[in-house]
Amino acid sequence: MSEKKLYGIMAEFDTPTELVDAARRVRDAGYTKTDAFSPFPIHEIDEALGIRRSILPFLVFGGGVLGLLTGLGLQYYTHVIDYPIIVGGRPHFSLPAFIPPAYELTILFASFTAVFGMLFLNGLPMPYHPVFNVPRFALASRDKFFLLIERRDPKFEYEETRKFMESLNPQEVFDVEE
Amino acid sequence: MSYKAPEELKNFQRIALGVGGIGTLALLIGGLISPEMREQALRSWLLGFVFWGGISIGSLGILLLQYLTGGAWGVIIRRIVEASSRTLTLVAVMFIPILLGASTIYEWTHPEKADETLKRILDHRAPYLNLPAWIARAVIYFGLWFLMVYLLNKWSKQMDETGDWKLLKKASQFSGPAMVFFVLLVSFASIDWVMTLDPHFYSTIWGFLFAAGWGLASYAFTIAVLAWLSTREPMNQVIGRRHFHDLGKLLLAFVMVWAYFNFSQFLIIWSGNLPEETFWYLERMEGGWGIIGVILIVFHFAFPFVVLLSRDVKRNARWLASIAIFIIVMRFVDLYYIIGPSPRVTLHGAKLSFSESISWMDFVGPLAVGGLWLWYFFGELQKRPLVPVNDPFLESAIEHGKSH
Repeated sequence: MSEKKLYGIMAEFDTPTELVDAARRVRDAGYTKTDAFSPFPIHEIDEALGIRRSILPFLVFGGGVLGLLTGLGLQYYTHVIDYPIIVGGRPHFSLPAFIPPAYELTILFASFTAVFGMLFLNGLPMPYHPVFNVPRFALASRDKFFLLIERRDPKFEYEETRKFMESLNPQEVFDVEE
Repeated sequence: MSYKAPEELKNFQRIALGVGGIGTLALLIGGLISPEMREQALRSWLLGFVFWGGISIGSLGILLLQYLTGGAWGVIIRRIVEASSRTLTLVAVMFIPILLGASTIYEWTHPEKADETLKRILDHRAPYLNLPAWIARAVIYFGLWFLMVYLLNKWSKQMDETGDWKLLKKASQFSGPAMVFFVLLVSFASIDWVMTLDPHFYSTIWGFLFAAGWGLASYAFTIAVLAWLSTREPMNQVIGRRHFHDLGKLLLAFVMVWAYFNFSQFLIIWSGNLPEETFWYLERMEGGWGIIGVILIVFHFAFPFVVLLSRDVKRNARWLASIAIFIIVMRFVDLYYIIGPSPRVTLHGAKLSFSESISWMDFVGPLAVGGLWLWYFFGELQKRPLVPVNDPFLESAIEHGKSH
């Protein structure tokens, strides 16, 4: 181990099948702060790594409800409280007319929550990541598959984790520095 | 694999035929009692016809749609919507009582009895809205729908036999222009058959209410049938959770589109605030009808909308089918809300409150038509393999359902 701080241990694999098999064993061994890297999406990897479902849908629902309330509230405030004028003989509080703008704000807030929530939950934008310190990691966007266990994992124990990673039959195991 | 339909469908056919036969007989006998009862019997038959005929016609629309969009969902449901679309033959036969009884239920067929205002409206509309033209148009609607059903089913069968993939391209190319005509036909037909029940009323978005309503009903029906089939051989080998997830997403979209069109009609009439339009909603906001209206907003839109947002509900065949059947029931309520308050010919154009209007026949009518319809549908469903066996995308469509 070098002088620099360790970020985690990463293993390189040749095929997606090996990656998924290894991910399952890492999950079964009880590691939770893990990640997998692949040149293309692998559907099984979420389940194999034990990645839990994102809370994003609930945030989007909340954003939608907030948008709806904002839309209705804004119109109620402007038409009923702040500047009440009679339009077309209709009451100040005219719910049918309020629905289209309220609906639009529901969609707007929900989509903003979806986009920015996704970015936030993914920790993006992130111009630097320690895995880039491993030169071979560039191949993750070509034809190699990588599996990472972070040091902040409660089960992480350098000697033991490294030995465990080597037992997974990887091409190579790397120390990833911060 | 043969993809043959389960044997139990034969039992379903017997039950459906029994219900349909008894229901039709009850309507016939009820209709003989008095002129008022005859009108009620025919109105209830019309309710059943618009509901179940809508599933045949809507299924044709979904058949066109899935050829246009492609995708696993279309391959998986194609045989069910094809079978529904072929029930159009029976639907045309079931239109005969309405054709013969048009003067019993449509007030516009009696311009001589109309009051001053109505007479002026009917005179104005007479070149279009007269019985011979109305009949001729019905023949055109059915004729063109038949042509679409016939061609699409023929090509699909040929592809089963020959495995010629060019037929799929042919069907897709046909579906584009056919879809344009299909929506126009739905618009004209729903105006002729349902909107003219109230000769005072007019609404230009009417056709879309029915395109969305019939599409939603047939789509929900297809999901319910598919969910049942997925519990039996051979479809339990074919259908996966992800298929239901995809179907559920489109069901949500259909629910929203139905609400969108209905609200559009309401908002425009409410904003315009003209007495020749607003009466239609004012009548439907009074007493019992008003309660039905609230039920529609809550249970035809809000409840299915919120429930269908959930991924778990969409991926669970049993839950999704339950919601689909719930929506089918609400479709019936919606059609009753449209048809029920319209004026009665035997009462010289008078309209009835909800409690006076509702009759045992309004339940027997849809059951009678539905029994016969389902009998025919289950028969058609058994005639062909449950999936398009030679479709080039069948394998990937099945694979799609099994992945995450």
